[in-house]
Amino acid sequence: MKLTRRDFAAGIVAGIAAPHIITSARAQGATIKIGMCVPATGPAAEQGLWAQNGAKLALAAVNKAGGVLGKQVELVIEDDQTTNPGIVLAFSKLAAQNDIVAFLGSIRSTQVHAMAPDVLKLGKPVMIGGTDPALTHMGNQWLFRFRPNDSYSGRVIADYGVKTLGKKKWAIVHSTDAFGTAGGKALASALEKLGTPAVLDQGYANQSQDFTPVVLAVKQSGADILGTYFTFENDIGIFARQLRQLGVNIPWVGSPSVVAVSSTKLAGPALFGTYGVADYAEESSDASKSFGKAYRDAYKSAPDNQSAWPYDAVTILSAAINKAGSTDPGKIREALLATKKTPGAEGEYNFDQNGDGLHGYNVVKNDKGTIVYDKHIDFND
Amino acid sequence: MDLALQLLFTGIGIGAVYALVALGFVLIFRATNVVNFAQGEFSMVAAYLMVVFAVDLGWPYWLSFLLALAGMALLGVIFNLGVYYPLRHRTFLPVIIATIGASILLANSVLAIYGPQPQVLQGWFETPGIQLGPVYLDSQYLLIIAVTFALVIFNYWFFEKTLLGKKLQATSQDKEMASLLGISVSTMIMITFIYSAVLGGLAGILVAPVLFVSIQMGSTIALKAFAATIIGGFGDVAGAIIGGLALGVIETFGAAYISVPYKDGFAFLVLVAFLIFRPQGIFGERVAEKA
Repeated sequence: MKLTRRDFAAGIVAGIAAPHIITSARAQGATIKIGMCVPATGPAAEQGLWAQNGAKLALAAVNKAGGVLGKQVELVIEDDQTTNPGIVLAFSKLAAQNDIVAFLGSIRSTQVHAMAPDVLKLGKPVMIGGTDPALTHMGNQWLFRFRPNDSYSGRVIADYGVKTLGKKKWAIVHSTDAFGTAGGKALASALEKLGTPAVLDQGYANQSQDFTPVVLAVKQSGADILGTYFTFENDIGIFARQLRQLGVNIPWVGSPSVVAVSSTKLAGPALFGTYGVADYAEESSDASKSFGKAYRDAYKSAPDNQSAWPYDAVTILSAAINKAGSTDPGKIREALLATKKTPGAEGEYNFDQNGDGLHGYNVVKNDKGTIVYDKHIDFND
Repeated sequence: MDLALQLLFTGIGIGAVYALVALGFVLIFRATNVVNFAQGEFSMVAAYLMVVFAVDLGWPYWLSFLLALAGMALLGVIFNLGVYYPLRHRTFLPVIIATIGASILLANSVLAIYGPQPQVLQGWFETPGIQLGPVYLDSQYLLIIAVTFALVIFNYWFFEKTLLGKKLQATSQDKEMASLLGISVSTMIMITFIYSAVLGGLAGILVAPVLFVSIQMGSTIALKAFAATIIGGFGDVAGAIIGGLALGVIETFGAAYISVPYKDGFAFLVLVAFLIFRPQGIFGERVAEKA
């Protein structure tokens, strides 16, 4: 057979075009794919399991209601190993799959910071749970937050401690990771605005085996109230027990992890009487109650924010894609930003132009091991 | 002064945990000339065994404790036969890598079987602790310190006064000569692995009520225990104990008086200082010969 120049040119064109045609065909496949980076191993493996539970629960509901754009939705999960290099690797694996239309990132601010440059490069929407305020204020238009950020949690903790509990001498204890540092700063700043600057601002490194020096610092500071930003439930458990053992019994208002199911179980009586700001509180709204019931029916355990935000993220993202009528990243982004007055497990979503969906927190109390809803505080700014 | 006393007690308590795990490092190093990087996972596995027996199955604490240690002895046998024995004629590097692989396997096996949820294990005593003047003494830390010192005495008696201990020492010093003298080297190494696994397990069971039972509990302790072993002098039993205690006290005081976030930094700063100025450690003459 004689190979003409025309045949040769046609062959070259076909060779170059084939991968694109195949990829495009895959992108228009039988299902709509959502990628999810989640810790399946490492210190946050338990939290990762809860996150998967929440996302899968929402996925089942979305698919039962007809799916997205007439197709079933599929979750593609990658383990982020609870590390920054782990999430960069996990996200790059997912990003390489062109048929994934959007992603769920981490609840850990540190890890969201690590993956953020790749998110920007890829240009597809990523739902996140990290609460460092900077994440949605650093020019990355593809990050959409499904939890209230820590500028709100700091204000709610300060407001509740000063105005409701009437305490003025604050000790702040926070993790030194991105979440804890940002949270500690937000609380310190809110306290200064209320005219009650903290008497102690104490950082600690995650996964500490002993908190005696921190507890003694709190004790020596003469503080009459404690505000905390802990990342890991294990750390809260150890700290809480040592705090009580060493005779520190001042009121304690903490970030959401202090009222997480795991912390409550690990620390037991050491956390009785503590207050926490919680983005998820089962009694706070009808949508929260309905999620709580569905979660208990499916997994036979109580949910918390670890599973509530991925549930909302999958639900609202699916609705946004339907509303956009397309899997085009820009159109999904516009639909997400247009999401207003939409009830979710975590609260009412009103996305602002930065990508923040929620703007307030619930205050809850650990009443002898039961988390009791107190009130919800929302901000308009 | 009250503050210093409280810190000293806690420092010795956490240091005793490092010392127990460091002891396991040292014993295996003496017998095989390799570092067992799965030593921390031995602690984790034993703690989970305790949770299974004492919490899930509700068996008596003492029975669960004995069964968990028996389980660790079995793990020591399997570890020796599966990880060390096939590579015993190779250089130290493949064995070390095999122990790292085994540690990953153990951690992920427990994760796959038991799930990622951290577990609570009650301590031996109903009373959480006692207030002695200005110092609060956590009962579990008191137990850990007591067990560590009891083990120091036991190890001295075992290695210096018993025939089996002397055979183990002979094996660790010169395998060929020990073999020529009729000592079964492979049996001695097997016994060492069993003893180290039991020791690591004991550390895990003792520390579990303080740190909770989690997949990561072993690796975080093992890292410090490894540093303690180097500070004390690799291969020296007394060195492991002193190194562990010193590390616990240094990091606790460093955290309280200099900086809490850099607590781990103090431990490793001391390690670096030892590596530069006294690489053989506090009691490390014999290590220098081996190196």
